Amino acid sequence: MATVTLKSFTGLRQSSTEQTNFVSHVPSSLSLPQRRSSLRVTAARSTPKLSNRKLRVAVIGGGPAGGAAAETLAQGGIETVLIERKMDNCKPCGGAIPLCMVGEFNLPLDIIDRRVTKMKMISPSNIAVDIGRTLKEHEYIGMVRREVLDAYLRERAEKSGATVINGLFLKMDHPENWDSPYTLHYTEYDGKTGSTGTKKTMEVDAVIGADGANSRVAKSIDAGDYDYAIAFQERIRIPDDKMTYYEDLAEMYVGDDVSPDFYGWVFPKCDHVAVGTGTVTHKGDIKKFQLATRNRAKDKILGGKIIRVEAHPIPEHPRPRRLSKRVALVGDAAGYVTKCSGEGIYFAAKSGRMCAEAIVEGSQNGKKMIDEGDLRKYLEKWDKTYLPTYRVLDVLQKVFYRSNPAREAFVEMCADEYVQKMTFDSYLYKRVAPGSPLEDIKLAVNTIGSLVRANALRREIEKLNV
Amino acid sequence: MALFSPPISSSSLQNPNFIPKFSFSLLSTNRFSLLSVTRASSSDSGITSAAVEAPEPVKVIVKEAPQSTPAVKKEETATATTKNGAVEGEEMKTTESVIKFQDARWINGTWDLKQFEKNGKTDWDAVIVAEAKRRKWLEDNPETTTNDEPVLFDTSTIPWWAWMKRYHLPEAEILNGRAAMIGFFMAYFVDSLTGVGLVDQMGNFFCKTLLFVSVAGVLFIRKNEDVDKLKSLFDETTLYDKQWQAAWKDDDESLGSKK
Repeated sequence: MATVTLKSFTGLRQSSTEQTNFVSHVPSSLSLPQRRSSLRVTAARSTPKLSNRKLRVAVIGGGPAGGAAAETLAQGGIETVLIERKMDNCKPCGGAIPLCMVGEFNLPLDIIDRRVTKMKMISPSNIAVDIGRTLKEHEYIGMVRREVLDAYLRERAEKSGATVINGLFLKMDHPENWDSPYTLHYTEYDGKTGSTGTKKTMEVDAVIGADGANSRVAKSIDAGDYDYAIAFQERIRIPDDKMTYYEDLAEMYVGDDVSPDFYGWVFPKCDHVAVGTGTVTHKGDIKKFQLATRNRAKDKILGGKIIRVEAHPIPEHPRPRRLSKRVALVGDAAGYVTKCSGEGIYFAAKSGRMCAEAIVEGSQNGKKMIDEGDLRKYLEKWDKTYLPTYRVLDVLQKVFYRSNPAREAFVEMCADEYVQKMTFDSYLYKRVAPGSPLEDIKLAVNTIGSLVRANALRREIEKLNV
Repeated sequence: MALFSPPISSSSLQNPNFIPKFSFSLLSTNRFSLLSVTRASSSDSGITSAAVEAPEPVKVIVKEAPQSTPAVKKEETATATTKNGAVEGEEMKTTESVIKFQDARWINGTWDLKQFEKNGKTDWDAVIVAEAKRRKWLEDNPETTTNDEPVLFDTSTIPWWAWMKRYHLPEAEILNGRAAMIGFFMAYFVDSLTGVGLVDQMGNFFCKTLLFVSVAGVLFIRKNEDVDKLKSLFDETTLYDKQWQAAWKDDDESLGSKK
């Protein structure tokens, strides 16, 4: 009986005739686009129970995505291993988390170094607009230090029962059968500084790749490449009197001098500010853009000392393949960074959690083997929940970051209270809240007006050149 | 990606009114290592604008002498004229001074509309031109923002009809002219070929389609480059969605692969 089950299981995803052999049913509540109706995604109700062990899952990478995934897996009764190569990794990152993350992930308030409640948007012609008047008392953008946040999430995972290993993932051997384990090859560091570590292998049933923008897990499943931006940041310690200005205020600079397709920023951190910029299309000029950003903020960071310089790639869109058999990618490894704002921490943690939840559910708390269908459920849920957000931000980036006039219009629009309210609502709570239609029409008219005026001024500028 | 504006290079923004070109090239190469920049004389606008101001030819000549020898060292002395004719000399000894946009009508981070009056009414055209010059200046010489002098100007203070009169109406005239020419000659041409008069042409579906296509063409294709621009715009709008759907498309392909 078991062999019959196994043989026909290999054809499970291909045709519907085999369905009759199983008790499984096709979940009909999936919101799949029409052309996929031929593909049946089924729960692995038909997989045999794991006889004497729990499901083993390895999470590669111990950032927000990995930490959140490992915690959810461990809480769901799955034998979890988290492999992280650098436990005190100080990631180059803006470090901004939305308000909903604090609630959803039960973050203690002392993890948050600063609560940013005001933002300043500065246009190419230095028109400065203050945003944040519409925020309520309890609303803020949290600024965290990544090393603190990451360590906290890993610790929580460990307390829930995950095993945290300090090691570097090298490669993995793919299984021959649908239920054979994956063999992971990694180097374990035993904590002694300077040691090269020992090569080890481990067998697991499923892998979650949470190892960031240069993911090795993604490479080993041929996930494909994505376009990425380079984010370059300098941490600058500025004198105290200048630091009071940045007490709860972050700045965003837009302009061709600062970045051709992104923005420059000054974000306050625990006792210094992070000044940085990024670009996709002109990566070679990043130092020039950084100098321009520092120049634009010069008066406000005068007398500061650079204490650290860092750079990191930021994915611009998801990889072509985000999962393969029993390996799934989450976080930056999958490419879940939004356009326009470049936000990634919340989406990394949320995707890690969502993937882990799908595994827990598909394996019925670790009792059964999972298959690709279970992981696909995580992809569907993710796309259904967040694709509108990604799309809206993509449109915003395409419309407002393409040229100086567009950026001027963008900053002008941000002065509008309705825009501020909508923006903050959608950023802080990650929901696209429906506003009032009348205000929306007014907003549309104002946007078009701003764009037209800014472009008219650009034509005037071009006339001056002639 | 060609739609993004090119990175700043002042070599493409030569202003023929401004004579000392050396300082501009010096700017482009040393822009970001220089903390002091030559104060370019924005008095060129003082010569051309409608505002009544006295240009200072004497001062301009004085400035040319030191600048015609672009020294290797980065400090330069410069003088500048502001729009109201008052001369401000600024000696830049070491690196700390900064050139800022200066204009008599630019007060407290916004344009003082009272100074733009002509015949008792605000001359909005002059405001538009002044703002354009300010933006151009800032594109060439990015400035630091300060909290002491925040920039507060909002282009919506200029009324909508001023914008329309200046930009929309001339272009509308051109486009309507093109449409009229195309319309007249196409009507004549079709009539001579088929014998169908203008009124009967309008009743024909094919002619109506041609009319729609020509109106759309006149509206959307105004310059030669617009054809390619529209094509890449269309690709751009669909690209992000395609990247997201790639995860699902891949699944259809892998159906045939071995397990």
